[in-house]
Amino acid sequence: MAVIRDMMPAFELFQPTSVDEALDVLERHDNTWVLAGGLDSMDWFKDRIKRPDVVVELGSVSELTGIRASGDGIEIGAMTSLRDVVASDDVRSRFGLLAQAAAEVATPQIRNQGTLGGNLIQDTRCWYYRGGWPCYRAGGNICYAGTPRSMNREHAVTGQSRCVAVNGADTAGALVALGAQMMVRSAGGERVYEAEDFFVGPEIDIERMTVLEPGDLLTHVRIPGDWADARFYWEKVRDRKSWDWALASVAAAIVESNGTIERARIAVNGVAPTPVRLTDVENLVQGMPANDDTGMAAGELATRGFKPLRHNDYKVPLARNLVRRAVRGDAA
Amino acid sequence: MEILRTAPNPWGQEVLVGVAWDLLWAAAIAGFLFVVGHHLYVWIMAPKAPKTAPEPAPEVPERVERHSQASRTFHWLMAATMLTLLVTAFFPVIGVQFAWVTIHWIAGIVLTLLIIWHIIHASTKQDFWSVWTGTKEIGQAFQAVGKFLRREPAKEERSGKYPLDQRAYHNAVTLVSFGVIVTGILMMFGVDTWFWASNPYFLSDSTWGLVFVLHGLCGVGLVTMVIAHIYFAIRPEKRWMTRSMIKGWITREEYLEHYDPDLWKLGTEPAGAELAGGSASSADADGVVPA
Amino acid sequence: MALIGQDISPPDLRAKVTGRAKYAEDFRAEGMVFAKLLLSPMPHARVRSVDASRALAMPGVLGILRASEVNQPEAPGEAALTDEPKYVGEPILALAAVDETTAADAIEAIDIDLEPLPFAIDPLDSLRPGGPDARLDGNVMRFGDSGRELVSLKWPQTEFDAAEAEGRLPMGEPTDEWDHGDLDAAFAEADYVLEDTIVHQSLTHHPMEPRSSMAYWEDGRCYLYGSTQSTQRAHQAMASQLDLEPGELVFVGQYCGGGFGSKIAGVPIYQVTALLARKIQRPVMMRINRYEENYIGRARPGFQAWTKMGFRRDGKITGIDLYIIQDHGPYGRSGDYNTAGAVTDLMYQPDAMRFRGLTLYTNTPPRSAQRAPGGAQIVAMLEPLVDKAARELGIDRVEIRKINAPTHDSEFGPGRATTTSAFVREAIEAGAEQFDWAGKQALSGQRNGTKVTGVGVGLSPYVGGSSGFDGLLLIRPDGKLYIHQGIGNLGTHSMADTARAAADELGLEWDDCAVIWGDSSQHHPYSSVQAGSQTIHAHTRANYAAALDMKRKLQEVAAAALGGSASAYRVEGARVTGPGGSLSFAQAAERAIAMGGEYSGQELPEDINDYTRASATQLAGQGLMGVARDNFSHEGSTWSWVVGFAVVELDTETGDVRIVDYTGSADCGIVVHPRSLAAQIHGGSVQGFGQARSQKWVFDPKWGVPFAHRLYTARPPGILDVPLSMDWAAAGEPDPQTPIGAKGIGEPPVGAGSAAVTSAIADALDGRCLCRVPLTTDVILAELEGRAQPHALTEIHS
Ligand SMILES: Cc1cc2nc3c(=O)[nH]c(=O)nc-3n(C[C@H](O)[C@H](O)[C@H](O)COP(=O)(O)OP(=O)(O)OC[C@H]3O[C@@H](n4cnc5c(N)ncnc54)[C@H](O)[C@@H]3O)c2cc1C
Ligand code: HEM
Ligand code: SF4
Repeated sequence: MAVIRDMMPAFELFQPTSVDEALDVLERHDNTWVLAGGLDSMDWFKDRIKRPDVVVELGSVSELTGIRASGDGIEIGAMTSLRDVVASDDVRSRFGLLAQAAAEVATPQIRNQGTLGGNLIQDTRCWYYRGGWPCYRAGGNICYAGTPRSMNREHAVTGQSRCVAVNGADTAGALVALGAQMMVRSAGGERVYEAEDFFVGPEIDIERMTVLEPGDLLTHVRIPGDWADARFYWEKVRDRKSWDWALASVAAAIVESNGTIERARIAVNGVAPTPVRLTDVENLVQGMPANDDTGMAAGELATRGFKPLRHNDYKVPLARNLVRRAVRGDAA
Repeated sequence: MEILRTAPNPWGQEVLVGVAWDLLWAAAIAGFLFVVGHHLYVWIMAPKAPKTAPEPAPEVPERVERHSQASRTFHWLMAATMLTLLVTAFFPVIGVQFAWVTIHWIAGIVLTLLIIWHIIHASTKQDFWSVWTGTKEIGQAFQAVGKFLRREPAKEERSGKYPLDQRAYHNAVTLVSFGVIVTGILMMFGVDTWFWASNPYFLSDSTWGLVFVLHGLCGVGLVTMVIAHIYFAIRPEKRWMTRSMIKGWITREEYLEHYDPDLWKLGTEPAGAELAGGSASSADADGVVPA
Repeated sequence: MALIGQDISPPDLRAKVTGRAKYAEDFRAEGMVFAKLLLSPMPHARVRSVDASRALAMPGVLGILRASEVNQPEAPGEAALTDEPKYVGEPILALAAVDETTAADAIEAIDIDLEPLPFAIDPLDSLRPGGPDARLDGNVMRFGDSGRELVSLKWPQTEFDAAEAEGRLPMGEPTDEWDHGDLDAAFAEADYVLEDTIVHQSLTHHPMEPRSSMAYWEDGRCYLYGSTQSTQRAHQAMASQLDLEPGELVFVGQYCGGGFGSKIAGVPIYQVTALLARKIQRPVMMRINRYEENYIGRARPGFQAWTKMGFRRDGKITGIDLYIIQDHGPYGRSGDYNTAGAVTDLMYQPDAMRFRGLTLYTNTPPRSAQRAPGGAQIVAMLEPLVDKAARELGIDRVEIRKINAPTHDSEFGPGRATTTSAFVREAIEAGAEQFDWAGKQALSGQRNGTKVTGVGVGLSPYVGGSSGFDGLLLIRPDGKLYIHQGIGNLGTHSMADTARAAADELGLEWDDCAVIWGDSSQHHPYSSVQAGSQTIHAHTRANYAAALDMKRKLQEVAAAALGGSASAYRVEGARVTGPGGSLSFAQAAERAIAMGGEYSGQELPEDINDYTRASATQLAGQGLMGVARDNFSHEGSTWSWVVGFAVVELDTETGDVRIVDYTGSADCGIVVHPRSLAAQIHGGSVQGFGQARSQKWVFDPKWGVPFAHRLYTARPPGILDVPLSMDWAAAGEPDPQTPIGAKGIGEPPVGAGSAAVTSAIADALDGRCLCRVPLTTDVILAELEGRAQPHALTEIHS
């Protein structure tokens, strides 16, 4: 069978108007695919690497869009566009970290079309995998990116387990740092996950990026008010200033009083198959002054045990310095 | 049902990547059907051989040692690793997800070491061949099958230390275990350990495919075998054997009932004396104690 | 007022902004069907068998085209389809179906059996003893006594070992070598000598519009719609590739969404569309997508180079030794590396220079000229080294460039060529002033938090003109001047700008002129390829020549009609006026038609090209014709220059670089169209920013498969990578060797942009030169952190 790329094959399209209806379609069919903004999905379809028979497009499910108050925090529908997340006053005023991160996703066009849910759930951009190579993540038995000769400049420096791909979702780190919760529904009911538990590493399941299984829908992201008054730090380093995933990013929420860190929640992304919450660093910096020494100690701790591959050693100092800056509190 | 999985390699050539996990269900169902079938067979159909009371043999001690301490330790360690391997390998497949790879390969290494120990032990300290199947046994097997087919109420043959079915089982398990071990060791080059970093180009993609297929087939085969094994271990008429694997001995009656003293000569085996104080054989084969 | 020097609205503007402009993909024809390509998944293979029976049996599938059915040129030429693909992505066959989905599904249903063959991705691998050759007939092409030959060249292991031990590029036997002066003496005289190995990546052209095409046949004639830089030449080239007479082919290419050298004339894949259309007797559209464009869309060759440069205390460069291994792809023979040698010699004017080099066939996509081929690579590689010397010698970096720059009569290169003019210093000075070099220089090394400022300058020369083409003009009875342009319309406006030479000579307002371009059935003159920055030079000349011819004819027609001597008539205000009165151009056209002969094109000059003759013959009798070959003198080769000045902010903790300010200043003769010139300087520089910072190729070495095959992985610069502040300047001195005084400007801005940035980054790193292009964040951060560099010394596709 010859290979052809960049040409979408046919599939059956469903456009439900409610979550129940969507779940019902998912339940009734095999080999389904949930379609949000399509920026990740279409890539797969066009290259004919993932070939669903049935595509369930959520664009008409109005209960999945919008941002509303929820307890002391907010709740964002999974289908809310990244643009709307960036533009939301609720997000900007209290959870600016998410707005900053979302604002640096790709390009304006992609943010108009891409959804928060899709951004979080997006598959890794490991180019071996995306190229249709039969690697572990694709159900095969080799990690082509992890060999001593592989081109893995953009791959993981930690959390590798046979697969060395990275999570590329900019909003993921921010939501981990904000202590968000992900609300998932399936025909079996609703489940709620802490943001950091929502992402799954290859040691657990090498073929998935999140806890979502076929038939599951991410409905909402809930951000509690816990960190609403914190100082936020977001930084993403990439090869180009737009239209590019992070080589590494850091998202931090830090509560200080008189220059001393009271509590902190910090996540880095682009360095591991999942966003990495730095609990040890959070503990370390508690009670310490927010300065470069603390930052350096935090950065060192954060990157201890990192295992760079052939081409990505630079991610070690990069991640270290990003954490350092987050703790130090540079004006981003 | 899909048996093998293939995928196009980076050059678009179709290569094997592994077994299809449908096989796991097939293996589990096969194991289950065997259990049910055997049970029904024994329960309803099996021709009962008249029970002949063994002649009293006072020269046989009250308790005959069937498995030495070392052998039993070996057996249970191996059982534990085997179960660990199965659980780590197949739970994720059936949807129970956890970080399995490291536990799996460590258990794999333990199993490998145990088996190496066992081979050395068995070949130096025991009658290595006591458990292997030779032409004589194969002849016996044919006879047994013939009798079964003719539905002759065969009198229960008394055997040497390791009866035929037990030996056949041992051989099959040995073969399949070697399969997972050899392939598993090769697969170790594909994962990061504390001793080396993975090198997936250690083998070509088609060879990897074959290795994964063999590992998978043998692994799945072990599922059926282990189900059968556990089933027999808990069957009432075999519990004496299970007990012997726990406690080490069988009773004189059991000895006389199940064994032909000419074939299992007590106290004549090479290592018996030093290991078990001369009272009985310390000899053992593997830890698997089927019917 | 003369049009030259003014901003005008080019005639295609309205169509472009309203979307009425038709690019190749926008054409439709009755019964049109779609074609798709089957691309090679392997870097080098032989097709053992193809079984298309399942595909052909699918409803809606109309036929396939195999390699045996297209023109197979002699080695190392490239065919449109092949049974021995030599790079991943090379087209093996094409299939047509009623729609693209069916075509794609049918391609998938083709069973193809390929035998993998040895392949080489890195040129150096191919040179190792026992290393693979990219082609079955060798890895290099040499010019021996018996003409050109393909051979398998290997270097001894000892050379590789020595290079490894010395931490430099291996440099065995080259295929090309030239020198001048006494190099040893030059280095002996030098007060400062530097030596470095430098790598420059390959990059795909990636024009916005991929090479889609549509074709149909009618009455034995082929109508082909494609995207091209040069319409007339594309018409000729496609006719020859299709074994047709030019008259049997109509080629339409009115708009071109960029080419950058990748669509200079004929585009091989257009053959497939045309031949498939003939085979299945239906109009065929073949839309090339970005993925395919990445493979068949051409690329700039990468270099693995080594140089040694000697400097005198006063900044004068005494000697340069340069070695370039070029990564070439599997076909043809690009001269980038040779040009790079010549450019080096031209811009630094060393007393002695040696150039050695060779170009290696590799199993990577085919190369072709890309905007300043050879020049853009070498300046980005060498300019930071000149900075290093300037620092060492305590000389201002702009000054050291002026010290070494050529003058009007400087010689350079293997043949010791001369240039028509060199207003390099003037351009440098104009740019330095515009940019405020002195003021900006003071920012160098300044720290702001974790950010350090770097200031850079990069000089970039490139060939800026050819000559000897034809102009073809017609005044029709409607009184308008029709300027027939065989050059293409790739967005540079030169099809309009070169027309002004004729308009000005005839004293016309722009509204009185109509430019005819982009459709061979509209009759084009023989034209230059619109590449190598030839156009503005070549076709202001050709149109000027034709305008002179037309002016004479206008005078003669008026004299014949109104009496008096022809020379007494003046041409102005769309009239020809003299002692006997005045004729409007409309009247002159009527008279010319009546007079016939040369006036209406029935008789044509001897020296024009046959192609022009055929076009003129078609137009004969329709008005007053001006037609002439450009016979103006042209001594020496024409070179244009751009010097780029950049300010960057480099974050010392992340390796991130932001270009904050840029000025490009040109010596391109007189400025014909200021706005267009600014667009060229800025656009080219931005392309250079991408080259310096982000755009590159990546191949898996084990499988020979590329990854940077989408725009987002190839990483050309995005809008936020462009500084908010971008300025330009021009020396504005006319070139004395061309009547209009204009030189081309398409090429040199790329190198200027790239070199200014590599120079500025080195400046921000206290003059440390990383000797690699692009300077990506990982490379910079590794340097800042004192960690091992992510790419090996000569690694070129990582
Ligand atoms: C060129 C390019 C550059 C990019 N750069 C960046 C970048 O810099 N940073 C970044 O973070 N991202 C980047 N992206 C990724 C882009 O932002 C995400 O791919 C996009 O946000 C995905 O969202 P979507 O709505 O388009 O999702 P889709 O593509 O429709 O879906 C993505 C995945 O999520 C699943 N999914 C979506 N919604 C749900 C739901 N509610 N429940 C269950 N499953 C769901 C889909 O099944 C699919 O698997 C880039 C993408 C492109 C194409
Ligand atoms: C009961 C015995 C065993 C069973 C049932 C078993 C089963 C499996 C299965 C099902 C897998 C997953 C393969 C796949 O994804 O296709 C696997 C992987 C693996 N096994 Fe085993 N195995 C066994 C013994 C061993 C042994 C003895 C070793 C080592 C000496 C071993 C080493 C490995 C390794 C390293 C992997 C991971 C390979 C990879 O994903 O790259 N296994 N095993
Ligand atoms: S890193 Fe993961 S996704 Fe990439 S090739 Fe390896 S296994 Fe596949």
